[in-house]
Amino acid sequence: MPKVYNWQIGREMEFPYEGVRPKRQFAIVMDTNKCIACQTCTVACKTTWTPGRGQEYMFWNNVETKPYGGYPLGWDVRILEKLGVRDMTGPVYEGKTIFEAAPDGEIALGYIPEDEDWAFPNVGEDECTGSMEQGALYTMPHMQWMFYLPRICNHCTYASCLGSCPRQSIYKRPEDGIVLLDQHRCRGYRECVKGCPFKKTHFNPITRVSEKCIGCYPAIENGRQTQCTITCIGKIRLQGFISKPDEVREDNPLDYLIFVSKVAKPLYPQFGLEGNVYYIPPIHVPPRYLTQMFGYGVEEAMETYRRATEDRKLLGALLLFGSTPEIIERYEVQNDTAIGYNKDGGELVRVPIREPIHIRAAYDEQYEAHRTNIT
Amino acid sequence: MNKSFHRRAWAGFAVLLVLMPGCPAERPDPAVEREREGIEAVRIEGTGAILDPAAGFWNEAPAFSVQLQPQVVVDPRLPEAAVGELEARAVHNGEWIGMRLRWADETRDDVLRTADFGDQVAVQFPIDPHGPLPSAMMGHEGAPVNVVQWRAPFQRDLDEGAPDIFDLYPYALVDIYPDEVLGVIDARAYTGALGVDNPISRPYESPVLDQIAEGWGSLTVKPIQLADGRGVWNDGEWTVVITRPLFPITPNDPDLRPGTATNAAFAVWEGGSGETGARKSWALWVPLRLTE
Repeated sequence: MPKVYNWQIGREMEFPYEGVRPKRQFAIVMDTNKCIACQTCTVACKTTWTPGRGQEYMFWNNVETKPYGGYPLGWDVRILEKLGVRDMTGPVYEGKTIFEAAPDGEIALGYIPEDEDWAFPNVGEDECTGSMEQGALYTMPHMQWMFYLPRICNHCTYASCLGSCPRQSIYKRPEDGIVLLDQHRCRGYRECVKGCPFKKTHFNPITRVSEKCIGCYPAIENGRQTQCTITCIGKIRLQGFISKPDEVREDNPLDYLIFVSKVAKPLYPQFGLEGNVYYIPPIHVPPRYLTQMFGYGVEEAMETYRRATEDRKLLGALLLFGSTPEIIERYEVQNDTAIGYNKDGGELVRVPIREPIHIRAAYDEQYEAHRTNIT
Repeated sequence: MNKSFHRRAWAGFAVLLVLMPGCPAERPDPAVEREREGIEAVRIEGTGAILDPAAGFWNEAPAFSVQLQPQVVVDPRLPEAAVGELEARAVHNGEWIGMRLRWADETRDDVLRTADFGDQVAVQFPIDPHGPLPSAMMGHEGAPVNVVQWRAPFQRDLDEGAPDIFDLYPYALVDIYPDEVLGVIDARAYTGALGVDNPISRPYESPVLDQIAEGWGSLTVKPIQLADGRGVWNDGEWTVVITRPLFPITPNDPDLRPGTATNAAFAVWEGGSGETGARKSWALWVPLRLTE
């Protein structure tokens, strides 16, 4: 197998194909601290892309409650169990990726979920890790905790669905790194379903081939962020392009969040896929769990996030989340305002670093009435 | 020349078998002898496609036992074959060849759900019976093969109609589908592989796909479908007939005219064991002779 460099694990690793990075790479940063699991993203994706026959069970975007939720059921627990307990505490991951841990005769370590695993997309919703003792007080990190994990296809640099397909029906677009599944070429073998550790390829039992998140490519081609991003009422997402690890631009908000401030971390980097959906870890959750999920540097990321007000560039990037439906290619912070620009340098949005505060008198002299807050 | 090449090749194979431990060296193994002779497609009366698995004429054709091995050459592999043997008989009527394949399979797997796979069987012919023998593993570049593949879910579609979601999942909940509120053109975007006429989504008019391959991963459904067939599952056994014209009609049809000495290879997928794609049991080239 060829060797490719995966910056998320700090080393070269095996992958079925030569490592050719796309010209641009689709990426999303999601702030788990702000997600309330309203599922608006899930519904936006569902109504846009998967209301058809055979797609009834499909959620290309879903939000699950951690630690117990999972769609399909226990997807992360099952693959982690197969991979074994690995040390994630160093900048270089020395354990095996799912390609390196593949059993004899397989391309990647994996499994095919059963029907039942897909049938309960929100089992474990809002379930906490346990109950609090009478009279106990919460400290940070919380003794009992849960958080919401929104998920889409990671449009991985080293996509396991792509590597697992014996027909090369899955391809990565050179222009934006979006991973697509050719609906005409696929023969429904489900090697991709087995090979994707995130379980983000889905078999359509009516059309008899597999389908997956298309990264809203018609929107991306027109400079617009994905449906799940622009409909997010919590403004937890920022979608754009991540630079190659050796071509980082500080004025790209995604680069700043991922490479410069390192506040956004990949999901299960130990799988070895170099996924391109990044998460700001929930700061109330014990780092031990989060290190397993987001890899090395989680505690530093949590600390950086807590102190975001001290880094105006970081704060500026965070404030651009959900501020415009257009893709922000460049940003800057000027006079307490974060400004986002499109690829042509056109200004897209201005967001104040600090929202202006207006204080209304409790009594309205003109109408001789007491004001009540009805919102 | 081709015939003598084959004879030498198969004689070599037979020697190998004889040298293997457990094979008596004194007298030729009858199984090896039969394998060397291969399958004989006997001439029968009639015209057109040969479709009836229960017809009496199959008794006129000698039964050939095809020994199957798990596919362990390329990843993903099949560690253990669920089907180890199939019985092959061949006939032709001067226009069409018919091959009847019969194998034991306890489960009739002809419904596709997210984790369920269908039973299948395929026969492979070299396109050119006189050229160098293509790789038995789906041909190789410059040496294409014709793969005619019968699919149990296609057979069920044709016999009982294509399933809707409630056939597959009786408790499915559905509000509304795009095709119930949009015009055909607008709703097409939501039809996935069906909307782009993926040939494996539904059968055309036959449960058999007429295909060409030039090596691993290159299997392609031909634009014009000539092959046909019919499969019946009964009491733990599939009996499947695959039929196609003897003479080439479209580009890259195999030449199977009467009198030809060619080869056939086989593959079986036991859907209930999760066999699909490369995870199959197969037999390499078996000589196939079509009587005049």
